[in-house]
Amino acid sequence: MALPTSLYIHIPFCRHICAYCDFPKLFYKEEWGKAYISALFDELDSYNIEKGSLKTIYIGGGTPTALDDELLSSLLKKVRPYLSSSYEFTVEANPETITQEKAKILYTAGVNRVSVGVESSSPRLLKLMGRAHSFSDAVTSIAILKKIGISNINADMIYALPTETYEDVKKDIDAFLSLDIDHLSCYSLILEGGTIFSAKGIKEAPSDTQADQYELILRCLRKAGFTRYEVSNFARNGKESEHNKVYWRDEPYYGAGLGAAGYIGNKRYKNTLNFNTYCKGKHLDYEEEVGADDDVHYFLLTNLRLAQGFHLATFKSRFGFSLEQEKSKELASLKKNGLISIEEGRLYCTDKGLLLLDSVLLELF
Amino acid sequence: MPFDQKHIRNFSIIAHIDHGKSTLADRILELTNTVSQREMKEQILDSMDLERERGITIKLNAVTVTYKAKDGEEYIYNLIDTPGHVDFTYEVSRSLAACEGALLVVDTTQGVQAQTLANVYLAVDNNLAILPVLNKVDLPSSMPDLVKDEIENRIGIDCSDACLISAKTGFGVAEVLEKIAKDIPSPSGDPSAPLEALIFDSYYDSYRGVVVLIRIKNGSVKVGDTIRLMQAGKEYLVTEVGIRTPNEMKTLSLDCGEVGYLAAQIKDIHDVFPGETITLASNPAKKPLPGYRKMNPMVYCGLYPVESKAYPDLKDALEKLSLNDASLVFEPETSKALGFGFRCGFLGLLHMDVVEERLEREYNLNLILTAPSVVYHVNLTNGTQIKISNPSELPDLAKVASIEEPYVSASIMSPKEYVGPIMTLCQDKRGIYKDIEYFDDTRVIVKYDMPLSEIIYSFFDKLKSFTKGYASLDYEISDYRPSELCKMDILLNGEVIDALSSIVYKPSAYNRGLAIVCKLKTLIPRQQFEVPIQAAIGGKVIARADIKSMRKDVLAKCYGGDISRKKKLLEKQKEGKKRMKAIGSVEVPQEAFMSVLSIDDDMK
Repeated sequence: MALPTSLYIHIPFCRHICAYCDFPKLFYKEEWGKAYISALFDELDSYNIEKGSLKTIYIGGGTPTALDDELLSSLLKKVRPYLSSSYEFTVEANPETITQEKAKILYTAGVNRVSVGVESSSPRLLKLMGRAHSFSDAVTSIAILKKIGISNINADMIYALPTETYEDVKKDIDAFLSLDIDHLSCYSLILEGGTIFSAKGIKEAPSDTQADQYELILRCLRKAGFTRYEVSNFARNGKESEHNKVYWRDEPYYGAGLGAAGYIGNKRYKNTLNFNTYCKGKHLDYEEEVGADDDVHYFLLTNLRLAQGFHLATFKSRFGFSLEQEKSKELASLKKNGLISIEEGRLYCTDKGLLLLDSVLLELF
Repeated sequence: MPFDQKHIRNFSIIAHIDHGKSTLADRILELTNTVSQREMKEQILDSMDLERERGITIKLNAVTVTYKAKDGEEYIYNLIDTPGHVDFTYEVSRSLAACEGALLVVDTTQGVQAQTLANVYLAVDNNLAILPVLNKVDLPSSMPDLVKDEIENRIGIDCSDACLISAKTGFGVAEVLEKIAKDIPSPSGDPSAPLEALIFDSYYDSYRGVVVLIRIKNGSVKVGDTIRLMQAGKEYLVTEVGIRTPNEMKTLSLDCGEVGYLAAQIKDIHDVFPGETITLASNPAKKPLPGYRKMNPMVYCGLYPVESKAYPDLKDALEKLSLNDASLVFEPETSKALGFGFRCGFLGLLHMDVVEERLEREYNLNLILTAPSVVYHVNLTNGTQIKISNPSELPDLAKVASIEEPYVSASIMSPKEYVGPIMTLCQDKRGIYKDIEYFDDTRVIVKYDMPLSEIIYSFFDKLKSFTKGYASLDYEISDYRPSELCKMDILLNGEVIDALSSIVYKPSAYNRGLAIVCKLKTLIPRQQFEVPIQAAIGGKVIARADIKSMRKDVLAKCYGGDISRKKKLLEKQKEGKKRMKAIGSVEVPQEAFMSVLSIDDDMK
């Protein structure tokens, strides 16, 4: 298999810990930052990534912009040469961390896309999540980014939060549309173990509530000219996230940093979640050679998240057998129940099917 | 070397569940140094995992120990273990037929229980010598004198000499061993008479064929003998005999009065059944020993493999299980919803439960059980009577003149303060009051005639909860009586699911129908489409609940490392789905078919 053309980098530092977050993270301390970046560079070097070979880099977290300016610059400088002439270079940021200076560092280092953790417009819900910013901070930060020349901006939104009503979601949609950006990621709250929410015994909203709110979002964003190109991702004016589409097309990518996952050749790996272990240079936690059946499962569970689905011919050339023949009964019943559609050789989930993707996959596994 | 018959003692232990039978057996094995400390584990005779886990004895088991008595003589003790639950009375009668005596173990903190009474009467009927053993005297709540009175007054067994023991600490057990030698008679067979050996149990071994457990009543048998199974008329060459200590130990012969095992390359399991007599081909006995009373199954249910290709495996497993469980009967049946399977008859619900678990564990089968049913006698308008054990076989109502159902005489023993709740419960379950007897100053025996079908539906659990666990229940089938019964069908997505049909008492049909559809609604997961569940009698829908279609199950976020986790989760879920049966297009979990069992009629 070809070498990856994408790289994910995880920065596990935060200035605040949010109530729902289960990503590897810790409070930022300068000496930790230094140790971490040094270990991260070692890991990056170990992959021997060729100059100019990458099409996308995504630096996520945690909060990458929680790093001191100097460390952030050195990281961006380190990876910038990996990129080819046409690229997408994304950094995640929280609104309160985006200052004029930070924005300038990003822009001058070649970052051309920023994903902002706006999450909600409601002061009540922002407080509940433990976010350190207000919605007006978000408005300001996006204005700063645009002014400096970064126009490809995503805002994250979380819905189906505890106590969140249908009306709350409506207000959120209006507020997020007023940001006038071309990409929105809308996630229903997933309750993970080890988070502040789970410690408080908070449960996810009933799936019917989630579905109601999701359908509202879908309807309103479509009206505003957005296309839902993946379960939770909406874009207009061609601003789909190239990096994330690599995951959803089941294509390889490097993953570097604490707890990061990668997919190189026929191997999937995941890095350690232990900060000390990582800083000592032992980054790998486990590695899995992807077998034939596994590979099919990975392919289906990623590609079917895309509204476009996949071409059955692509499937056949990759796996050497025809999915329509192998799963004819299952496909017919899914079709009958209105969950999938096959058009011009392309298999994709309908609006109904995308929401019931687990059911679809269980039929096809 | 043939052992002198006078030094053989064959006995079993009769006790209620939890009264300490298995613990006493453990102590006996220890004191006779039969099992080394190293091998000792709790409930050593309960060899099935299932028995140890549940702390009950299901199968009888035999063990031979040697005991040096105070008179200086050495004795052979054959202890034949017996199950204590009402479902397994049949097994008890089998082991008693192989004994001359029985230890009656009673927990002195609880007193005699209904089921113990039934088993003691069986032992008395078999002319066994009965040694009362009063257990748990180390506990503060022990009341040995009261229990002595109970045994003397109720059963008529002299307790002036009863052993007071604690099987747990070992206190008094040595004395029990002495008394066995002194008070239980030795076998009285004739060593020179033609061989008569009673088969009381058997099991299958892939190398040796059927291995039978036998009691030699007269004569003897040795390796190389040609034996004849008297009722099957088949002959076999004996390849191995021995005793169980409890591990098998080969011997040269089994002699008059002895208990042991025998293997003769019997490959066809149909040739052997408990109660059969073995004799020698060269010098046969005149007639077989009196066999066992054939027990009729009281409860039937459909047993189906979740995956239809496992049908032959299920058949094979049932045949092997029935080899040492003669009370299990089965015949093939077909269900529209579930495919090919078997209608199986059991002695009771515990028996059914045990068979299911053994099939799943020992034979690695994945099964669906339908709700249990009793056998109904259906009188047709043309004057004939048919017997049905499967509700879906009930003919069209127009052809049915009347339906009769089995009744039992139930005896419930309980502290007297619970009489009120017990009577309420029995009345609710259509019981007909017969009598209340005072067992002693504090306890009563409440007697009711009740439909068997009501007993199998959660009666026992309710009885226990109504009486804080103090009541015990014994029952036997009395007769068939006409009842106002009808068939209730359950429809899923508009289709009648034959495996969910049941025969119900008409006046409570509406409540039961509603309860069942509500229960099914909670058990059947939401599907990709809406599924109506209906209960109907004679085509008329009497209750309905809808399972709304599922709308969202997709994970909002799925990146990088989450993908591996998500894939594993889905694969695990897929495994779980294999335990569901697709009925038409609806996926129904196994437990749904048994759901009627755990239903409260008043549940709305």
